[in-house]
Amino acid sequence: MGDQNTIINEEELRHAIRRAAFDPSSKQMALALRKIGSMTRGGAADYLQSMKRKVVKARGKSLYDVHNKWMKHILKGKTSYADKQAIFWHDHFSVTASVVGREESTTRYISRLYSHCDGSFGDFLKAMNLDESMMRFLNTTENTDEEPNENYARELMELFAIGTHDENGNENYVQADVAQAARGFTGWRLRNNDSESYLSNSRHDFMADYPERGPKVLFDNAHGFPAGGVSFTQNGEGENEIGEIIDILLQHTDSDGRKTAARYVTRRLTEFYCYAGVDIAAIDEIIDDSGFDVTWDIPSLMRSLMCNDVFYATAVAAPFSADTKKSVKHPVDFIVGAMNVLAMKPKGKELEIARGDSDGRTRPIEEHSEAMGQTVLNPPSVFGWNWEEGWISGQNLLGRNRFCRDLTSKRYGGKFRPERLVDMGETDPGAIVDQVTNILGIQNQFTATERDELINYLTDGGNNPVINLNDEDVFDVKLCGLFYLTMSSSQYQVQ
Amino acid sequence: MSLTRRQFMKRAGVVTAGSLAGPRLIGNPFVSEASANTIGDRYQVTLFLDGGNDGLNTVIPLSNEAGFRTAYETFRQTPGSGGIRINPGEEFVPSSPMIDPGTGTALGLHPGLQALGSLYDAGKLAIIQGTGYPDYSLSHETSRNRWQRADPTAPSPQPGSGWLGRHLGQFYGPSDAPAVSISSSIAQEQKTTDTNVLAISRLRSYGFPFDRTDSSDNADFQAAYSGLSIEAGNSPQPGLALIGNTSQATLQSTQDYPALHSTYEDERAGWSQLYDDLNSSCARDLKEIAKIIYGVENGAAGVNARFFRLRNGGYDTHADQGGATGQHYDLHEEVALALSLFCQEMTDLGVFGRMKIMVYSEFSRRLPQNSNGTYHGSQGPMFVIGDTVNGGVYGNHPNIVEEAMDDRENSVYSQDPGDAHRSTDFRDVYGTILKHHIGMDEASILTHVLPADVGPDAEYWTNPNFNMGYL
Repeated sequence: MGDQNTIINEEELRHAIRRAAFDPSSKQMALALRKIGSMTRGGAADYLQSMKRKVVKARGKSLYDVHNKWMKHILKGKTSYADKQAIFWHDHFSVTASVVGREESTTRYISRLYSHCDGSFGDFLKAMNLDESMMRFLNTTENTDEEPNENYARELMELFAIGTHDENGNENYVQADVAQAARGFTGWRLRNNDSESYLSNSRHDFMADYPERGPKVLFDNAHGFPAGGVSFTQNGEGENEIGEIIDILLQHTDSDGRKTAARYVTRRLTEFYCYAGVDIAAIDEIIDDSGFDVTWDIPSLMRSLMCNDVFYATAVAAPFSADTKKSVKHPVDFIVGAMNVLAMKPKGKELEIARGDSDGRTRPIEEHSEAMGQTVLNPPSVFGWNWEEGWISGQNLLGRNRFCRDLTSKRYGGKFRPERLVDMGETDPGAIVDQVTNILGIQNQFTATERDELINYLTDGGNNPVINLNDEDVFDVKLCGLFYLTMSSSQYQVQ
Repeated sequence: MSLTRRQFMKRAGVVTAGSLAGPRLIGNPFVSEASANTIGDRYQVTLFLDGGNDGLNTVIPLSNEAGFRTAYETFRQTPGSGGIRINPGEEFVPSSPMIDPGTGTALGLHPGLQALGSLYDAGKLAIIQGTGYPDYSLSHETSRNRWQRADPTAPSPQPGSGWLGRHLGQFYGPSDAPAVSISSSIAQEQKTTDTNVLAISRLRSYGFPFDRTDSSDNADFQAAYSGLSIEAGNSPQPGLALIGNTSQATLQSTQDYPALHSTYEDERAGWSQLYDDLNSSCARDLKEIAKIIYGVENGAAGVNARFFRLRNGGYDTHADQGGATGQHYDLHEEVALALSLFCQEMTDLGVFGRMKIMVYSEFSRRLPQNSNGTYHGSQGPMFVIGDTVNGGVYGNHPNIVEEAMDDRENSVYSQDPGDAHRSTDFRDVYGTILKHHIGMDEASILTHVLPADVGPDAEYWTNPNFNMGYL
């Protein structure tokens, strides 16, 4: 079993950067090799966490503008570790911006993802309670003393904090807990064009006004709490209640006596950064190693995660077995990583990529990512996206292929410059294939038969055993085609 | 090895449909008839109402034999201050009787569903009331997964097959594509790793992105892509195998499917216009299904889909639900008009007699309304539509009287045979379709598709009834 002192090689460092940030360009990789303190798991984690931080302020006149500003920031690659975190937390605290429909609050929502992923999970939850987009999205602004709206309270428990069931399949809460928590959120309102949240006392549920609803308590004689439940008005009724509810949720224990929220969010993070179905023993190991169930410090949790065996499990080389773990790249990961390794930059405000056709037309990044099934700021619902095999459908794969086809087009305004990536003097087909798979970071992911298939394509079925990359036709068609073919392979879809 | 195959294909000239993955089961016209457990020349369409359709404002109690009307009026306030009640005279009452079998309560439909009236009157629409599962979840995601995987005890979403996917996986192989999700992703109920489900949003833009300026390399590229996909499809690593198989089936389908669009638009222009006139996502999705079925019926090469799935969203009416007009009305009207048109076209194509359309939602909504909407609830009505359906009302209306409500203010799901309001397990509805429409035998259904629960009879589904009578 490895730990922070486990030595890593260059390939493993690239894997760590790919998973915790995005597949690095050769420049980014060189920078990492220069800056890393020691070639160990701990060294890689420290390097990643030392990447520049910045609270992103993606402002725009339309949601599409805001989307493009955010994606532009991510594609710049200056704060990639934080960007990857932000994508995770965006999915975790999923808000569909087009449903909320407000640019300014969306800008603040993005900023909150960046500022809080660096701190405590409890503070993050408390901040999202009063995020203006979230308040609109889950009807907090319609939650009144007379007509409590339970939407936010339910999703807070189910999706943000503890999950419906624990690791042993036992329920984490009952309907009464949702109804009670909803009372705490009654009366919260927005003003000044949604820039500010405040508690309207006249719409808040005070116990004195609703004696029939009983005391404000959660988890009656369950989950580590005493008979009669735990009160969330220990500091009085009103503004403090929603913070106390979060504090209580963090103390909630499961049927193994473990902190439910710690296991819940650690599992989500681990599955995002590693693979689906991680064993509970590894989850507990990461929690214990980081002290997350006490400190709730997200960066510490992430460091332990990045030093754990599960973080490196998917890096294993071919041939694979039925037990080999792999994770499907999500579309943003796929797009950013591909543009990094091919040293491509999108053009203009709409982040356009040349389509490589004779009309010189372009296609914006958003159109590409949408065709692959993921548009940031517009997750399909409060559950976020459907990850892993959920990305795999014919329609979505065609979206990936079209992106790769456009990206690797050399002709007619295409910006692809393979001559800067590949040794143009190389004539051996096998060596050229190895260069291309190496650039794409999957050189050890193919079986011998699959590598032969790539060689076979390059050599026209063995008819051209010596490749002259300086021949225009070979260069335009076969070399660009080889990049496209490799990027559309099943191996390139996973990591 | 790969070299030989590729050279073979180059010699063969254009790589044509059916040549990429070897012999295909459903490409063979004899196979579907030879296998008694498969759908044969019939079609199955599933429409998912996403978000939790309010069943109590879909099938509305009009009379008070069991106290349902009184309860309805208690829970649903009159319009004016956010009320969502359908007042007497506002509901749609078909000409054929619509009576709750358990209590004799007269029923009506939401006025938005009027366009389904002629199907009901003609005995082609079955309403199965009170369908659900024990110990219902109020989570969209959990409940959706339980319905779509037909696993009522699944604690939380996990990867896994859907109920239709398990049927498909049992009878079709990796080189078949018997099902289509009209979506960019594969619907959970169709999920399987044993055969292919295509995901197609719009046929018009469904194509493989070859080099757009120089087609000289396309055959080589295609052969190599196909070779790599097949290799990955054979990988023991499950993720690579899934992607490889999906890639290969997709490559195949991009050769076979896109032409269906132009053929349909040319040859069915009048019908196409009728869908366009409805200008709704439900109509647009059903038109894509019509295009594919038109292709299948006309022997389009490589087009063999028999199972279709579409979704209509927006049913999570926590606020501004509306009564006889408004949000819920618009949703009902959209679906009713689109389905009605689709059934007319299927009749025109001579297909309707071989088709069943199933409509469901992940849950109904809570009995008492909130200020102007409704919360997540329990059991609700399902629709099954088809020319050979024995139309009418099946299953019992949930017992909605106040005293019978559970502590979550919903009607109680019960399998107790002694309960006059006994609920219907969704697996009975699925099982009836699998047995009487798709043609599976009961033992095979129970072994492969719908495993029974173990639990007390009063609560759990221990006695399957795949002969509900509507088929």
